Amino acid sequence: MLAETVKTLVVKPTKCVGCRTCEVACTFAHSSAGWLGHSRIKVHAVAPERFVQITCMQCIKAACIKVCPTEALVRNPGTRAVELIEERCIGCGLCEVACPFGHMFFSAETRRPIKCDLCGGQPACAMFCPHGALEWR
Amino acid sequence: MEVTIRINDAEVKAQEGESLLDAARRAGFSIPSLCHHQALEPIGACRLCLVEVKASGKEELTTSCNFRVTAGIEVVTDSAQIRKQRAANLELLLARAPGSTRLRQLAAEYGVAAPRFQPRVDSQLPNCILCELCVRVCAELGHNALNTIGRGEHKRIGLPFNQPSDSCVGCGSCVSVCPTDCIFIKDTPTTRSIWGQSFPFVLCKNCGAPVITGVHRDFAIKEKGLPEDYYDTCESCKQAATSKRFAAVAW
Repeated sequence: MLAETVKTLVVKPTKCVGCRTCEVACTFAHSSAGWLGHSRIKVHAVAPERFVQITCMQCIKAACIKVCPTEALVRNPGTRAVELIEERCIGCGLCEVACPFGHMFFSAETRRPIKCDLCGGQPACAMFCPHGALEWR
Repeated sequence: MEVTIRINDAEVKAQEGESLLDAARRAGFSIPSLCHHQALEPIGACRLCLVEVKASGKEELTTSCNFRVTAGIEVVTDSAQIRKQRAANLELLLARAPGSTRLRQLAAEYGVAAPRFQPRVDSQLPNCILCELCVRVCAELGHNALNTIGRGEHKRIGLPFNQPSDSCVGCGSCVSVCPTDCIFIKDTPTTRSIWGQSFPFVLCKNCGAPVITGVHRDFAIKEKGLPEDYYDTCESCKQAATSKRFAAVAW
């Protein structure tokens, strides 16, 4: 059983206005390059003026963990996030293909996955969301 | 079992039997290496991770990647002797891989501008330094498609007998781990070319974008136990489906 006190990233699509501040925050939280393609969270337009933000669900029975041949994806017991240990990753790309939500990305330059790690317990996307559509609580 | 070792006069905790290079790097010491990967068996091929180890009274210059930690060893990661040896090894590697940016940067750090030796570049795999990371990663994955061919100065990396191999699934892990970026891989919208072979992609059932090579998918289904429909849709179509499902709940 998971501890009740652990915080969760709460996503409220009805409050999202599609400003993509979360994507910018995510990109800069993980690199200084500032290329939005590296953002772990994505805002999808589903209808006129309706947006859904999706990031890694940190699945309990995670397909990415299951397919990883080198145990490079591990659960952080503190944040419950599935984290990538880059030194153990061999860049086979199976995790990207296996993710049922399409939210494991694969960088063509580094040939390594790009994965939400909940910023180690302080998700930048939630901190910077100006509309309360993403909350860390 | 946790043991205490000394690295550059600092006490460091490490697991008995683990790679000395891993233990030293974890403790924050910088040691160069090209052929080491934490997920793979170390073989000490590039010989850049040389360190001085004092164990049971004996002192030796040895590769740290395949040196197993034991209690009480004393390690020096940087000295004039170590730098001299690393520089010499870099010269040799540079003669094989003059086109590798990573190697050239490392060589510059050690004051090696151009090697004294005649460049001897592999005609089929330019810039290959024979570190065998690709061979080891392929074996670790269970494909065992790659191997070293020939001996001595004729040694090189390739598929057995230079023939197309049934074992290769076109996953590209060898490309991902290669320290000198010397393995050729090319993706078109329908096929992947690697090691002189061509692998048709599984195409997304909605949009036709490439997802994974067919043989790699078959291997993954057999070995990883996930249902077949996990591999039939591309990333963007999966994202679109997820966002639609979310939208249906939200509004």
